[in-house]
Amino acid sequence: MNGWMGKLLVIDLASGSVTTQPLDMEMARLFIGGRGLGARLLWDLVGPEVEPLSPENVLIIATGPLTGTGFQTSNRFSVTTKSPLTGTVLDANSGGTWGMRFKRAGYDAMIIKGRAPNPVWIEIKPDSVTLHDASHLWGLTASQVSEALGQDKNRRNVLCIGPAGENLVRFAAIMNDVARSAARGGPGAVMGSKNLKAIVVEGDLRVDFADKDRFRFIQYEATKMLKANPVTSQALPEFGTPVMMNILNGVGALPTRNFQQSDFEHAEAISGEAITERILVDNDACWACPIACTRVTKTSRKQGEGPEYETAWSFGASCGISDLEAIAEANYLCNDLGLDTISAGATIACAMELSERGLLDSDLRFGRADLLLPTVEAIAYRDGLGDLLAEGSYRLAERCGAPELSMSVKKLEMPAYDPRGMQGQGLLFATSNRGACHMRGNMLGLEVLGLPKLIDRLQVQGKAGYVILNQNSSSVLDSLVACKFAHIAVADEYFARALTALTGIEYPTGEMLRAGERIWTLERLYNIREGFTRADDTLPPRLLTEPATGNSAGEVSHLEPMLDEYYRARGWDSNGVPRPAKLAELGLAELVEGVL
Amino acid sequence: MIDQRVYEMFRDIGRDMYVHNLVSSHGGNISVRFGDRILIKRRGAMLGRLKPHDIIETGLEKNDSGVALASTELIVHRAIYKATPALAVVHAHPRHAIALSLTRDEIVPIDNEGSYLLKKVPVVSVEFASGTKQMADAIADALRSYKIVFLRGHGSFATGQTLDEAFQWTDALEEAAEIIMYAKMLNEEMIEYRRMSDSYSKW
Repeated sequence: MNGWMGKLLVIDLASGSVTTQPLDMEMARLFIGGRGLGARLLWDLVGPEVEPLSPENVLIIATGPLTGTGFQTSNRFSVTTKSPLTGTVLDANSGGTWGMRFKRAGYDAMIIKGRAPNPVWIEIKPDSVTLHDASHLWGLTASQVSEALGQDKNRRNVLCIGPAGENLVRFAAIMNDVARSAARGGPGAVMGSKNLKAIVVEGDLRVDFADKDRFRFIQYEATKMLKANPVTSQALPEFGTPVMMNILNGVGALPTRNFQQSDFEHAEAISGEAITERILVDNDACWACPIACTRVTKTSRKQGEGPEYETAWSFGASCGISDLEAIAEANYLCNDLGLDTISAGATIACAMELSERGLLDSDLRFGRADLLLPTVEAIAYRDGLGDLLAEGSYRLAERCGAPELSMSVKKLEMPAYDPRGMQGQGLLFATSNRGACHMRGNMLGLEVLGLPKLIDRLQVQGKAGYVILNQNSSSVLDSLVACKFAHIAVADEYFARALTALTGIEYPTGEMLRAGERIWTLERLYNIREGFTRADDTLPPRLLTEPATGNSAGEVSHLEPMLDEYYRARGWDSNGVPRPAKLAELGLAELVEGVL
Repeated sequence: MIDQRVYEMFRDIGRDMYVHNLVSSHGGNISVRFGDRILIKRRGAMLGRLKPHDIIETGLEKNDSGVALASTELIVHRAIYKATPALAVVHAHPRHAIALSLTRDEIVPIDNEGSYLLKKVPVVSVEFASGTKQMADAIADALRSYKIVFLRGHGSFATGQTLDEAFQWTDALEEAAEIIMYAKMLNEEMIEYRRMSDSYSKW
């Protein structure tokens, strides 16, 4: 078998049973792997009657055909489940080494069902799968449990949850290789609800190629692209993703103080340049990644990984904080406790605004860097006010009588781009299947960086097509599974040719993107089955009515006309339901028969 | 109503194509896809002098009155959008590349830029090479696997997310074709400088 390992691992934690089943190759051809395979399996396994934190929910961990092949950034894996934060289909993916190692243990994916009666951890090797008692590990942080289970980057890799996952924080992350995370939407809480503390993998099996010479040539050409592109060859290695801070601030699309402004007067202090100058110790890279964007940093008190751009923003501009060391340490703490840094920071920002408006009784105020660490800790342990914040910004704001102050879509906190200054990004957030997300397509390339070419960021007409193309492309990348940062320089065409050379199945670029459209549409159908409608494809009212500041001054998001164009272009009706002709075209008609 | 920003995009790319000698006075055409709509150059309009009324809007699938005004190659543009993820199409008549297309089934650049960007451009041949369904199907089919293809003796069809991008592939092809011709005229043995250069023809 070329590309795929051909095997799924199924573990029922309630009974302790471990079985394997062959990978359905037609399913693999249509949904590729990773996120796509996860969505397809979830469709069958988890219906609308299942509560996300109940034993009936499943956790699907899947690699893709590219994982472990050595293709640039081919280290990733995805986690699919029903989100405890949003109630939508959820996929979160992560880099590092764990994904490559899991595939080399001989599996494309694993499905974890049920709830263990007591805490357990799973050990997976090519010739064995063992469930161990994890009572002694329960309560440990990610770094502690990784050390206890023998994390070794080159041989044995640990995936785990921290206390936040154990305490069912709705935005708890799954951590791997100590500080990598699959974080958005709370997959760590689902893992915690199953009494599953960790999964350790070992393996050195090889992936087979249909045409290895051709694959290597495509890889060689992709290398040229990565070397030539200044974002992947200079900006990301030197400044990491926080290189975006000054750029977004410059165009007036850096959300500040819970999106009350779209520029931050202290952006320079938390920028990529400042991080490199003040706290950077070293770069690190995921397996098979030539970009090496990971920041290893050190404050006057601690050392750790991060912050990424989104984290520097969520604890920084979003909270009105310019103390770089406090931001970095909040990041380290989130990594260790197992929290999504975007939702953590954005929820704290929401609490700050609620407090300033007298709607929440707390000391939190914009700029209070001294409260970051204790608040993050309180969230992870659900201590005092932290118990309320652990529910996420929407439930917090709703409890305070002001849900409109949650800067979220479908209850997922928005990331670090202000839709008033990037019209396409607003449409992208509103329509993203897991809630507001910059990793389900991203208009940053087209609207700000000029990748592949610059379009007018304030233009409304025609934006839907760009957003759709990006969303379909992201669905494919998350299914291969490859990193979005490689895609900055390496076009879809290269991934399509690599997939063809690897698997022996012809995937012209359009066909590969058609698979992306199929995956996106199935996720949409999943959400419709859960009761989501057009009314959920929206943005917080603030972004539709309150003008932006800075270099987007006066702008608001013009969502409605873009949404109409988007539905038409996707072949959906005016309520956002895929039309029968579109379902037939994508081969989904039979699957969803009787559901719509 | 065409957004002013969209008009300026058409005007600038059209002008550049004419200035770069990629089309004659009334030749070539360009379009973008906006969802289920196409914006395309008006039939008979000069790419080098586009006015707002020269940008015609019509349906991707369905005809409307716009088809009476649209470029004669509308059928090809529609076929391309239906067959590929393209959001923009540029059709040009680059002269050096046309000459090369008369003697080969693929244009494989030998210059660094052409190799880097294009790898290989296949040449497609059809009996009726202007505005026919046969031509539209052949071009659209070839563009499933390549971002730019060549219709023998006629011209190039390039796709992209933006007009800017499709124009880049077109201009890069013409530059590559010109260099191939210069290198041929030297009639001396080429010194290969690209690793795995044999693989370009298999792209």
